Amino acid sequence: MTTIISLMKQVPLPSQMRMGEDGLMDRTKAKSIINIDCSFALEAGLQLKSMLGSARLIVCSMGPPSFEQSLKKAISMGYDEAYLLSDRKLGGSDTFATGLAISTMLKHLGFGKGANEDFIIVAGRQTSDGDTAHVPSQVAQNLGIPQATFIENVEFKDEHVIARRIIEGGYQILKLPKPCTLSLTPTGIPPRRPSLLGAVKARDAKITVLSVSDINLSDEKIGLSGSPTIVAKVVNIKSERAPVIMSKGEDVSALVDNLIENIKSGKNTLEKKEKKEVKKKSIPEGYERVDFRDGASGILTWAELANGKITRPSLELLTPAKNLANSLKEGTKVRTVLIGHNVKDLANELIFHGSDEVIIIDDERLEEYRILPFSSIFAQVIKKYNPEISLFAATTAGRELAPRTAVKTQSGVTADCTGLEIGEHIDRKNKKVFAPILESRRPTYGESKLATILGFHCPQISTARAGTFEVPKRDENLKGKISTFKPKLDEEDFVTKIIKTVRGDGGLANLFEADVIISGGRGTICDDMNLIKELARELKKQGVNAEYASSRPMVDIGISEYARQVGQTGKTVRPKIYVAVGISGAIQHLAGMKESETIIAINIHPNESIFSSADFGLVGDYSDIVPELISRVKEGFTFGVKKGE
Amino acid sequence: MESENSLLVDVLIVGAGPSGLSTAIHLADKLNKDSIKKRIMLVDKASEIGAHTLSGTLVKEQALKELLSSEEFENLPAECKVTRDDTVKLSQKEYKTLPFHPPYMNNIGNKIVSLSEVCKYLADIATKKGVEIYPGFSISDLLYKDDKIIGVKCSDTGLSKDGKKEKNFQEGTKVFAKLTILAEGSRGSLAKKVKNRFALRANSNPQLYSIGIKEIWDIKNENIKEGEVFHTFGYPLEGDEFGGGFIYGLGNNRVELGFAIGLDYKDPTLDPHALMQIWKQHPFLRKILEDGKLLEYGAKTIPEGGWNCISKLYTDNLLIVGDSAGFVAMPALKGVHLSVTSGMCAAQTAYEALKVDDFSEASLSNYKKHIDESRIKKELYPVRNFRAVMSEGLFIGGFKFGIQLITNGFCLLTPHLQKDSLSTKKIKDFSGKFFKERFKGKLEFDKKLTFDKDSSVFYSGTHHDEEQPCHLVVKDMDEFKRININEYGMPCQHFCPAAVYEEHIDKNGEHSLKIHPENCIHCKTCDIKTPNDAITWNPPYGGDGPQYQNM
Repeated sequence: MTTIISLMKQVPLPSQMRMGEDGLMDRTKAKSIINIDCSFALEAGLQLKSMLGSARLIVCSMGPPSFEQSLKKAISMGYDEAYLLSDRKLGGSDTFATGLAISTMLKHLGFGKGANEDFIIVAGRQTSDGDTAHVPSQVAQNLGIPQATFIENVEFKDEHVIARRIIEGGYQILKLPKPCTLSLTPTGIPPRRPSLLGAVKARDAKITVLSVSDINLSDEKIGLSGSPTIVAKVVNIKSERAPVIMSKGEDVSALVDNLIENIKSGKNTLEKKEKKEVKKKSIPEGYERVDFRDGASGILTWAELANGKITRPSLELLTPAKNLANSLKEGTKVRTVLIGHNVKDLANELIFHGSDEVIIIDDERLEEYRILPFSSIFAQVIKKYNPEISLFAATTAGRELAPRTAVKTQSGVTADCTGLEIGEHIDRKNKKVFAPILESRRPTYGESKLATILGFHCPQISTARAGTFEVPKRDENLKGKISTFKPKLDEEDFVTKIIKTVRGDGGLANLFEADVIISGGRGTICDDMNLIKELARELKKQGVNAEYASSRPMVDIGISEYARQVGQTGKTVRPKIYVAVGISGAIQHLAGMKESETIIAINIHPNESIFSSADFGLVGDYSDIVPELISRVKEGFTFGVKKGE
Repeated sequence: MESENSLLVDVLIVGAGPSGLSTAIHLADKLNKDSIKKRIMLVDKASEIGAHTLSGTLVKEQALKELLSSEEFENLPAECKVTRDDTVKLSQKEYKTLPFHPPYMNNIGNKIVSLSEVCKYLADIATKKGVEIYPGFSISDLLYKDDKIIGVKCSDTGLSKDGKKEKNFQEGTKVFAKLTILAEGSRGSLAKKVKNRFALRANSNPQLYSIGIKEIWDIKNENIKEGEVFHTFGYPLEGDEFGGGFIYGLGNNRVELGFAIGLDYKDPTLDPHALMQIWKQHPFLRKILEDGKLLEYGAKTIPEGGWNCISKLYTDNLLIVGDSAGFVAMPALKGVHLSVTSGMCAAQTAYEALKVDDFSEASLSNYKKHIDESRIKKELYPVRNFRAVMSEGLFIGGFKFGIQLITNGFCLLTPHLQKDSLSTKKIKDFSGKFFKERFKGKLEFDKKLTFDKDSSVFYSGTHHDEEQPCHLVVKDMDEFKRININEYGMPCQHFCPAAVYEEHIDKNGEHSLKIHPENCIHCKTCDIKTPNDAITWNPPYGGDGPQYQNM
């Protein structure tokens, strides 16, 4: 009988995490819940069981004994057995160590290559308190089995898993054999509520608690010592935007008139504060200087392709890559890996955008991205070129390719970075200075903090949040080297079949390049965002590069697609004009649009927090205001954006 | 009777408030003493015990003392003891402390407790005694056989908004019970069904309710001391409006305050949530709350009609306890101790019935006997006409109540009582100043001292799965439009303390009702006060609703 293994984490309820008096997130008062993505994975497991006819359903977690309540909940939903890996020694584990510990637990339970191979792992895409999305890929690599991440929907047919995976600008249908690992986004079938009967069963159910020694994992491989990365520091993020200008008017038409006038006369501006000189950290005397790179040199990036073109986030990546190379010793090279079929012509584009060397891997089987051969190729390229840093765009592909590759190279990974710099790490305890070192900065705790993560193993691997860095200026005078690389690939690397790839017109690229984004939130539910779409359409007709987008709830309830989701778990955009309609202004959404040049907020509730993050505001009903705006656009109003710009 | 998704128990209690938990504890104690093994199950719709429990509680301890062992009683979580208790008369700008206490109102020595906390504590005790407690499950229906109740059915989940079964559909478990005890709290939805089906109200007045709105604040400590208690009357109420406010100093820089108003008010545009905000702007309150921070918000209704409004509380295989029954002593503003006592009476009845395995109406009629012999009747009977005369306003009512105190509750000119939904006047028939006019200039909320409804709701922590049929059912939309919107100006948009009901006006000037069920904080005012009884409150999915921590 097939076993369905659900990996689950318990997290503090994000909405109950409040800022404490000390400015730190207070998790202790928050209620604990099953991580949202994991709960979708639990449901996917139950759905798989119904398609399989019969299956053994087990749920596994790693964490303190308090996690038992969530494991019991899984049992009340219909799971048969629960296992908890719980050990104080696991404290401080990063994703690398966590992935290793969980896969070791699964091996201990009898699953893996050469043992019981009749299993399917379902996991959440990422956790709300970590947001890395690494662990499922790391578990899959540790077990040596295929994977599919960012899955919205699973089916089981002809002894194979059919999974619908989110890709940039669309989706892909994959066919995977057993065993395999799937990570689920919270956009599929919502988790069922337990029945009372299930709760009665769970009350009496026994949870098997395992310690590190139970699964024969040695102490140095877990906790802080088993973690290639550390969190070096965490600082508050302050948002700075000048006070909003609210529209005034007696009726809809006057309100819109006033908005248009306000936009014309310009927004409030903040007085620029002089940037303080950054004090150079002084290194106490007698500290040993450690260069842990051990000969590793250069920056390696990946050029992701979609529809035969280099994706924008991969070009953006060359900006931090170039900056990092400049901060390192002279002659540090930026090399870009270009995998595909007949892609030679694209190599020059990369050079024109700043890459020093493009490494081409050409194979007709590699026309579309697939995780197994690509991660294998990366491991081989890294072995040959020995880079000190490797960067990926934090797209759905990058966010699985980086961790899977990193397990092969024994590196840590920092996910979804918004800042990448070279610095040094002073270890006062051991009187050592680690330099130069990559400081990867990423927003955390619901975007309220900026954490700096360091890795002490080369290559230092990070993924960069799409939309954060600008695409470098294209310069045809730039010169670079083009080389080819012949990787060794197995048949095994191609066991996952791509059934279909669909990229719609509204994708990442379009959102990133749009000058005007009309974004709909909960307040636009009443007509499924139709007026939002119409407004974007009318702007396009006026020759403006406009797109529509949405906040997360609209994606969750299926009105909008994931590719159009702006926010922490979606995309970061920075258009000239961002029009937020019916969006409350949750911090997770603000994270994805606060860099926009001008923000216009339209909401029926005058107290929504979106107004404190906007330049222009208008209080009114969606179904009254937007039609009025549409008619103004038809008369030529374009939010001050020039046509065809 | 048994199917795959069903359970068999001896006694099922619906609702884990003070009455349901007292029933469970007392029954378990009695059975354990005799070493009788019975399966007692308690389910509650809140995600955790106490999360839907709200009360402005100065608890009279005697009842809990009787329920619990001395050790259990000693450890009862309490905020503090009342050290000072003043009744304050508010006028628009001034206040005066009364030199005496209105009868039944002295609280010195009573304890201020968080009822959420008390319920969590009682649930732990009940669990230790062998009661199975399951929070997070709501009950949609009672199960019948030969017109007798044989148990309940949990709500089906995994339904779309229009009631279609989704892929994550989960059928609600059926629980077959020899005896079902309804302890759902004020205006229980199952109790309402039972009372209608078995005409349990045949010999009683309609129940009268108040809505109470409560906030907990973090304040500067010196503004109010631990154990200081104030009850206010007067402003912002006037005329025949019945109600008032309370302010309890909790220590640790915290204060809880609340405002209640009888739902027999007449103005169709009256807004109890706004009244609370207006009340807070009074200098007496302002000085306490100055520079403070709102921590929690909530609301509930209070069945306050008293003795004469209590229906028959038993039928074959079923008992009704606590607020669902209507055990509130209005002159003392207290119900928790009576809920506990009613739970104990029900437990005694259940115990006797279990012993002889007879759950017929005749056997369960012992419940009435036990209540009549308990403090419930002692406290409620003499003041049975209090709320009735108060419907004429504090002045005349206070005079008549004064006479009742001498005559053991007898009253010659008892006003006729009608249910609250009938008290509201039509827009054209209301002769007073409409609410907005009456409090002009006081309805701008600054989000520091005063809050609009949407902001307040945030502080209740309420949450509802949006994928479910709307739990607020409108009888007939056309009729609603004709009567509630056109004739009454849609009172639900005003009285709902959680902005669930919105009157939407489209471009063509058409008025319609928009419901935001996700805001609901389960106070059930809409079920009580809507003209034409047009709205029925049903429980949403189990686990949904407010997340009260210390209410």
